[in-house]
Amino acid sequence: MKENKTLNQKLAELEKSTEWFYSEEFNLDEAVKKYKEAIKLATDLKKDLDELKNEVEVLSVDFSK
Amino acid sequence: MNAFTPTTFIEVVNQTLDYAYGSVMVEGEVASFKVNQGKWVFFDLKDEESSVSCFMTLYQLRMPIEDGMKVVVRATPKLTKWGKFSLTVQAIKPVGEGSLKKAFELLKKKLTDEGLFDPTKKRELPKDLARLGVISSTQAAGYADFIKIMNARWGGIRIEVAHTQVQGIDAPDQIIRALKYFNEKSEVETIAIIRGGGSADDLSCFNDEALVRAIASSKIPVVTGIGHEVDESLADLAADLCASTPSNVAEILTPDKKEAKRRVYEVVERFGKTLVERIESEKNNVEDKILRTKESILTKVDEYQRFLESQMKILIAHDPEKVLKQGYAILDGKISLGNVVKITTFEKEIKAEIKEIYERE
Repeated sequence: MKENKTLNQKLAELEKSTEWFYSEEFNLDEAVKKYKEAIKLATDLKKDLDELKNEVEVLSVDFSK
Repeated sequence: MNAFTPTTFIEVVNQTLDYAYGSVMVEGEVASFKVNQGKWVFFDLKDEESSVSCFMTLYQLRMPIEDGMKVVVRATPKLTKWGKFSLTVQAIKPVGEGSLKKAFELLKKKLTDEGLFDPTKKRELPKDLARLGVISSTQAAGYADFIKIMNARWGGIRIEVAHTQVQGIDAPDQIIRALKYFNEKSEVETIAIIRGGGSADDLSCFNDEALVRAIASSKIPVVTGIGHEVDESLADLAADLCASTPSNVAEILTPDKKEAKRRVYEVVERFGKTLVERIESEKNNVEDKILRTKESILTKVDEYQRFLESQMKILIAHDPEKVLKQGYAILDGKISLGNVVKITTFEKEIKAEIKEIYERE
């Protein structure tokens, strides 16, 4: 998975980004940058959700012995 | 022809038996069941006509057995050094509804009394699953359903599958080995034991005492999805979470991709709205500031204007021409006798010589 983050971690990160816009730290200069970052994250997420598959590996260990 | 000694004869018979049969499965009814010295188990296996002696260790006895139960054993036939024929049993399991139910109830009571199924000992499964261990037969329909639903619901999970038997006399040991493997050699966060529906006999391997204990003592949380909703096994009771079916395990372990997409859309929409609101709010703030600055400047201008007007009034009040007009005169020059000074009145300028100087009374 990209940047070793799980989908849930990315989702949580995206939701946290929204909080900044309501916080005291909000300023217009940074807002555009943050907005672009969030949109990129959302786009990645949608792509991940569409494309990511589980990786299934059947172990070669013989458990009958 | 050389005669055998009893020892060599028994050895030859055993070699022949081993060659001819190796391991055999024998099904019958248990009779004369007893445990000696807490270690050795003896019983007879009989049908309507015949009976055969059986021997095994207590360690190999994985389900409670009583006289009258129908069982199947995997054993090797052997002639003992006393010339007695018996089956050395490697594995035994009850067969038939009545025997299975009886063994299930006996073991359930024993393990419940030990606290093995204590609900307070259940652990929560990790919420954000990245690595999952699955114990199942890869040929089983339940396994295929499980993988299908996992892939439909979520992605990015590394699933390590331990392929084992999930029914039959050898299944419990294989599942135990897989549990041991995941606990000791893998980094999975949860172990799922999967098996689709089947008869009570098919599912009876999940009532194996050693397997139930292995599940209860697993360091990694275990979830089971064995059979259908109505099936209950002791493995289910020992697991941290028991799902109703293999598909239900997948639903429990993963969030729904569709739901996640909906969340992303919601967040993006909220983001846009929030940004517009904040920009609007900032715009209003700037407009307020401009308005306040403008008002402040106007107030200052007004104050300054009033100040100027008051200063003008003072200046006008002290205008020398106005004083001269009132009849006063300005004397310009050094005051000393004989000196000529300049006297200015409202209408005239006069030069005058100082004739006399005296102090005012």
